[in-house]
Order: sequence, then C-alpha cells, then structure tokens
Amino acid sequence: MPSEYEALVAALKLTSVPFAEYGWKTRPEGAYGVVQLDFEAGHLDGGDVKQDRAWEGSVDLFYPKLSDRTDLIEEVEETLAEVLGNRWELNSTRYENGTGLFHVEWAFQVMDTPEAEEPEAGGS
Amino acid sequence: MPMTMQTDGADDLLKMLQDLGDQASKVAGKALYEGAGVMADEIQRQAGAIATAPFHYSVFLQREPSPEEKAAIQNKVGIARFTHDGLNANTSVGYGNSGYANVAGRMKPVPLIANAINSGTSFMRKQPFFRRAVATGTKTASEKIKSSIEASIDAMTK
Repeated sequence: MPSEYEALVAALKLTSVPFAEYGWKTRPEGAYGVVQLDFEAGHLDGGDVKQDRAWEGSVDLFYPKLSDRTDLIEEVEETLAEVLGNRWELNSTRYENGTGLFHVEWAFQVMDTPEAEEPEAGGS
Repeated sequence: MPMTMQTDGADDLLKMLQDLGDQASKVAGKALYEGAGVMADEIQRQAGAIATAPFHYSVFLQREPSPEEKAAIQNKVGIARFTHDGLNANTSVGYGNSGYANVAGRMKPVPLIANAINSGTSFMRKQPFFRRAVATGTKTASEKIKSSIEASIDAMTK
C-alpha cells in the first residue's frame, strides 16, 4: 500500500467528517466520506519488476445540508493539499434526488516507490 | 465526467500539415476519427469488467449495477460530431448523446447511469471504468493519431 495513501487516509480520519475506506456497510447519518485506491495508472519497469507505480484514487464526500457545503469541502480540500500537494482535482459534483444527499468527488494520484535496498555492510 | 486528451509532441507533423494547405483539415479529421475509435474501444473494454447484480431499486441498501445498465454502458459509447477550427479538429467520446436505456421497465438516461457507475453513489459502489479507460487508452490513441497523420502525409507526398 503506498505510504502517501496511508497518510491521506489517516489525515482524512482526523477531520470532522467520518471517513471509511472502500465504503460503509451501513450509511451513517449526516455527512460522511469514502476514500479508496481505484486503479494503477502507470508504472516504470526496472529489473524485470514494476518499480515506480502511480495509483489513482478518489475521495467522496456525501452531505445532506447545503449549508454544510463550504466548511466540509474546504476541510477535505485542505487535507488533500496538505498531504498530496497539487496531485488531486475536483472530479465531479452532483445531487442525489432519491436520498437528498450532495456528492462531491475528488481524484488523486499517489506514487508507490520501493525503498532502495541498503548495500550490505562488511563486504570485502 | 468530461476528460480532455491532447496530442502533444507532433510539432513536426503539424508543420507538415500546414504545408498541405486545404488537405490538412481532412488529414486531421481522419486521424482524430481513428484516435477517437481507440478511446471508444477502450471505454467499451473497461465497461466489460463492470461487476453486476440483478436490479433491485433501493436508496437504502447497497446495490451493484444491473446487467441492463452494464449493457447500455457498453453499447452506447458515442463519438460526437467533429468541429474544425483552422488546423484543430475536436470531438468528444462518451455518453453525451447516448439517449435512454430500458432498465427494469423504466427508461433511464445513459449519461446518468454512466456517471453513477463511474463515480458511485451513496447506494452504489463506484467502478471507475471511464477514468481507467482514459488512463490506459490515452497513449495508444495519441500514437494512433500520429501514425494516421504520418500515413496520410506519406500517401500524399509519394
């Protein structure tokens, strides 16, 4: 799991919105969020294995009241900027007629770079 | 879910296109049509991997897309009418004019179905087939556009 993604999940869970990874079994009351890695967007090969891998993921925010909008969106966007810099964008916004929920979706990219192995000490 | 794709690194080809004069627009249009076809194929391919379950209407329970919804997404990918602006040729690939699909006896707009599957809803898990198609198909489509322009120029200059 990319460490940047783990850092993002941890940071989102510290916000005032309850966040879960890959969805909720039971939809919470009020505003809630979902964060997940969606797919591998690209990679560089090296030594017959994938080395640097770029993953694309998304953050979804659902909230029932229009008045909550500015605070919650700003909070999530500040968290994204803090952890990922500028590697995210607003992907879509919509309103669900059946549930009365607003839905805001951001897409982001994280890198998974394997740490370079330290050369063994004590070699001749 | 509009996404933009631009073919870069074709400066030499553009210079050659400019030299072709009146033929340039036709060459660019043909190349764009082939590139758009690659993207449409890739969207269809990614849509083929969407997981489905029999339709049940509920906004309280989680559900997967139904087989009818998946079929609509696979079969109704469209390429928009081309517009030309000088040497630029523009189009869009997706569900902008895809009309409606019959899902469990109700006609539902295909763009709405595509959005719901691609971005998810509060009652449907997201399966981002469109974003995945853009990520995996852009490079191939770009190469197809360049090779088509090169082939057209070769055919004209020989």
